[in-house]
Amino acid sequence: MGTLAADPPPLLRTQGLTKTFGSTTAVRDLTLEVPVGRIGLVGANGAGKSTFFKLVLGLMRPSAGTIEVNGRSVADDPVRIRQHIGYMPEHECLPLDQSAADVVAMLGELSGLRSRDARQRASDMLDLVGLDEARFRPVGTYSTGMKQRVKLAQAIVADPDVVLLDEPTAGLDPTGRDEMLDLIARLGQEGVSVVMSTHLLADVERTCDHVVMLDGGRLVVSREVETLMVMTGSVTVEVDEGADLLVAELARRGHQAKVVDGRIEVAAPDRDVALDAIRDAVADLDLPLNRLASRMASLDDVFLREAAGR
Amino acid sequence: MSTGPISSGQVYDLGYRGYTGELGGRGASIRAIWVASLRRSIGLRRGWRQKVVPWLLLAVVTVPAIVQVGISYVTRDSPNVDFHLITYREYVGVSNALLLFVGVTAPDLLCPDRRQHVLPLLFSRPITGLDYIFAKTGAVAAVVFTFGFLPQCVLFVGNMLVSDGALDYLTGNLDVLWQVPLAVASLALFLSLVGTAIASLTTRRVVAAAVFLGLGLFSSSVASALTTDGPSLAGLLNLFSLPLQLRDLIFLGHLAGDSKLSGVEGAGPAVLAAYLAVVALASGVLFLRYRWVDR
Repeated sequence: MGTLAADPPPLLRTQGLTKTFGSTTAVRDLTLEVPVGRIGLVGANGAGKSTFFKLVLGLMRPSAGTIEVNGRSVADDPVRIRQHIGYMPEHECLPLDQSAADVVAMLGELSGLRSRDARQRASDMLDLVGLDEARFRPVGTYSTGMKQRVKLAQAIVADPDVVLLDEPTAGLDPTGRDEMLDLIARLGQEGVSVVMSTHLLADVERTCDHVVMLDGGRLVVSREVETLMVMTGSVTVEVDEGADLLVAELARRGHQAKVVDGRIEVAAPDRDVALDAIRDAVADLDLPLNRLASRMASLDDVFLREAAGR
Repeated sequence: MSTGPISSGQVYDLGYRGYTGELGGRGASIRAIWVASLRRSIGLRRGWRQKVVPWLLLAVVTVPAIVQVGISYVTRDSPNVDFHLITYREYVGVSNALLLFVGVTAPDLLCPDRRQHVLPLLFSRPITGLDYIFAKTGAVAAVVFTFGFLPQCVLFVGNMLVSDGALDYLTGNLDVLWQVPLAVASLALFLSLVGTAIASLTTRRVVAAAVFLGLGLFSSSVASALTTDGPSLAGLLNLFSLPLQLRDLIFLGHLAGDSKLSGVEGAGPAVLAAYLAVVALASGVLFLRYRWVDR
């Protein structure tokens, strides 16, 4: 008789997870399963994201509930669990008078790498994050973007099963943010599971496959990003000129439309009917049509909708 | 075989590679902090200014041994001259340079970790607060022990070599072989625990150093003021004299005649109790300061 292979455990599983500080509840009755991959942990400041990370790392004891990382209970052996987790804190946390090479190698050794391996991997990871020659300079001389890269390098130096990134794009300029998100996306492609906390939903849309939304310590939604980005039941139209004329014409034809950020949003309970009406109106008015598409919900829409619906 | 000139180079993007080696356990992590702290305390991989204090200290504490051996060598053919600059007992804690070293080094190992918020990064690794304390205090203690023990080795080996019979000298001073390491270890343990405990209470190195040295000065002054009429148990208040009193117990079996506790009934056990109390208090402070990562 053959045996069925057991499903691999989820990356993270929590059951009734709660953490209170006096009268404040930072995480409230959180029950979720998160698959392996690139995970976005989203919520406003104070939503409980950093507390959640500390609970996963075993640096805080939950007031109630359980957490498992790759099927291993954090409560059973938090120290051992930390050997398989990389962590990038949000705030400044690097020794400023040491070089990046020394810092990352030392933290690699601290995770259990042999000394020589730690040096080699520190060098590789600093290369990967784009710090080559600068790695021998004291960290105190680095820009914010460079420090973020060092923080990422130290988080992955010991080849963890999962990397927890707390607001990895905080304080970065647009270019630095782009580069950091590219690095995170690349890690995911290389097979490293990433849990990235952020309050920027656009970062999650761009980088992650799964999103966990928290609000006031409660779970709002935990789902694949793709399934959340559903059609909204509206159509977006972009014309070079005559937007107001088109809105009026669509209204005359019985379709609700309005101009939002220079684009026309047309309510489309029946998508095909709406598209036909728009096509005809644009042709009759002889307007230069740039774009006509069904509008996808952004994660902002989803967050607002789900949070309001709780 | 000759190679032609290099005309072009290529940069290879190796990407992310997994680690297939075995990971060490908590012991390896403790060792990593200990080694890094040890390196930092003696200025390795740091600028010359950070190297000056430890190496100057080693030079200072070794000078008496070299001078003593030199005198013994010069007077080796004069049996009537039996000059002793310093004894093994006196050599334990002979220099306040050791105090100064701990006052500078312990804050340098602990304060920046708090000030620069490095602790969350360290404790996201497989270590506990106790491991951290053990490694940091162990590093300070190891350097103090080395700097206290090495000159004694120089003195012992030097005396042995300039004596009439090396083997006779060795067999005649066998007690020293356990007394010196034990006394130096008790001094190193005491100073490192007090130093790191004080350093754990502040993020500023200069404050920690001032408190450590000030505490020594203050406790010494108070003890002196309270023992002006003669030896009494108030002598126990001289904080940094406790390991030296313990040293006397190790070497002599009783307190030295010039001690502020000499002749006081029960002074020996009181010294041992006070020593252990300070060690326990310092350990307790350290444990409380880093318990937030312990479960």
